[in-house]
Amino acid sequence: MSGPARPSWTGAVRERAVRALPPEKLLPDSQPAYMASWIYLFGVLSLVSLMLIIASGLILGLKGPGWWHFTGVGHFFNSIHLWSVELFFFFMVIHLWGKYWMAAWRGGRARVWMTGAVTFVVAIPCALTGYVSQQNFDAQWISTQAKDGMNAVGVGAFFNVTNFGQMYSYHVLLLPLAVVALVVAHILLVRKHGIVPPFQRSALRKPPVDPTEADEHPVLAREHAPGNGSPAAPHPVSRGGGL
Amino acid sequence: MSRSTRRDEDESYREWKGAYRPYDIVREAAIALLVVLALVVGLTILFSSPDDPASTIKSWSRGDPVDFVTTATTELDGTSGTGSYGPPYNHNSDGQHMAFIHLAKWAGVSHPINSAQDFVLAPLRSLTGQPALQHAISTYRAAPAKTQSGWTTAYETALAKASTTANGSVSVKPGSYGPVPTMMGALLRFAQSGGLDGALLTSKQFFQTDYTKPLLFMADGGVLANRAVAQHLDGSQWGMMNETGSYPGQTWLWLYTFWYQIKPFSTSANADILVMAVMGVLTLALILIPFIPGIRDIPRRVPIYKLIWREHYRSFPPADA
Amino acid sequence: MTAAILDLSHPANTVHWHFFLMSVSNVVVIVLMLLVFAVAIVAPFPGRGVKGPKK
Repeated sequence: MSGPARPSWTGAVRERAVRALPPEKLLPDSQPAYMASWIYLFGVLSLVSLMLIIASGLILGLKGPGWWHFTGVGHFFNSIHLWSVELFFFFMVIHLWGKYWMAAWRGGRARVWMTGAVTFVVAIPCALTGYVSQQNFDAQWISTQAKDGMNAVGVGAFFNVTNFGQMYSYHVLLLPLAVVALVVAHILLVRKHGIVPPFQRSALRKPPVDPTEADEHPVLAREHAPGNGSPAAPHPVSRGGGL
Repeated sequence: MSRSTRRDEDESYREWKGAYRPYDIVREAAIALLVVLALVVGLTILFSSPDDPASTIKSWSRGDPVDFVTTATTELDGTSGTGSYGPPYNHNSDGQHMAFIHLAKWAGVSHPINSAQDFVLAPLRSLTGQPALQHAISTYRAAPAKTQSGWTTAYETALAKASTTANGSVSVKPGSYGPVPTMMGALLRFAQSGGLDGALLTSKQFFQTDYTKPLLFMADGGVLANRAVAQHLDGSQWGMMNETGSYPGQTWLWLYTFWYQIKPFSTSANADILVMAVMGVLTLALILIPFIPGIRDIPRRVPIYKLIWREHYRSFPPADA
Repeated sequence: MTAAILDLSHPANTVHWHFFLMSVSNVVVIVLMLLVFAVAIVAPFPGRGVKGPKK
């Protein structure tokens, strides 16, 4: 091809994506040494619970909304779906508690916190639309009660919890899409920013360093390391972290 | 902490330049999936899930004919919950408000329901081969409004002491009720045959998915509420959090349902909009915690972080006093 | 309904204290959450050895 190439949208998108999330950041094989607590597992536990909700929901959708009332297999997958939801909220709230007490929004991570909080908020109406789509007494009661809250704020004018067809559409497609989109954004932001480092301890003594161990503990070996153990020397871009 | 100190400290948290450990993210996710799958299957095998069958207008009218007829009469004279609801169903009240904010009214009547027409008169008009019934309906419609409400009010008062006969119909002491007992008797038989469930579902087309009318009709009576109270699902029982039976419910709604239990919400006619406003503010606060002074500083002051990162801090002990 | 090993289909037992009223199952879930959170931050985490910064 002769002459300068026309700037390409595709190229620009690709370069921007790779700059923000190179493969080593997207799928890291190391994580910061300070991640030594079981609390760090609750993000991935929430994520896999969501996967099970979607998988069991897919199976429930295969035979339509009435199937689970009339067969043992259908009821089994309804139970899987219900307990996945209970575990999803269980793990997600513990994850939220952990992240709050770590002040995980520090260091430019406000959007990570916000996408996580909005995911929680959107998951609640996603669950509500499921409860009112059960086609049993529970659905009858919840819909006739929830309608008052919705109507009181004007939302009931276009979101009718007693309209099964509308609620089923929101539950099976619209709200899960929103939850998944938010979770993807949340995880990509986590991968981009890394896991928040610990709070600095203002008066930390530099620990004595055995020169023969300097290679294993380069952090300790740095002469100019500030008291908190976060040395200022630059490092390569590919950095890992947890889920 | 000054703003510049806070900014500098925050910058220092942007990137970790210290030590790393090996980590297999895909294996962690796979193990987590297996663990949660095992938990979910275990819970399913142990507890299954609830499925209390739905009430129908047929079962309601057969199980409690007096409550059905009483509700139907209040639908006829517009004093039922739905009849006097306001938006989005009708203009018979303004709906809930908070000071000058009338969100329900501003959103308008988007799902029009005329309780007399939709729940009583139209279903009765669809019954053919009953000239006495059609004459009773015509008599009722031709009467002045004051006469109509005289009949329905008297009938509702009598129904408070009504009894059920052996064939499932309702018996009240003689009184001046006009054509109302004839109409209600026919509606009761129609409901007990199962026809009213279908009739309330019909609208502009053959295929139906909108159960608003039969659900509102049942909610105006006691059939759903009685079952709910027995299962601890009523609002005053913190029911929003509960599931039928002894299953765990929606524990994440604890704060939402909490407000309904205390004044002023518990005694307010506008409880729903007030609670929604409070929860809206709190939800916004949750999302915006990183920007709220005080709330964002609590983790720094309450040193739970010392437990989480104790291994890290052990590598860097504090200076001696 | 599919048979469950433990039948939870009876109306719930409740915990009632002043105006606080919650089903036992919900109380169990909330207490479990607090316990699991406490254990998660307190329980020792197996270390895998610290390596240097990523090259």
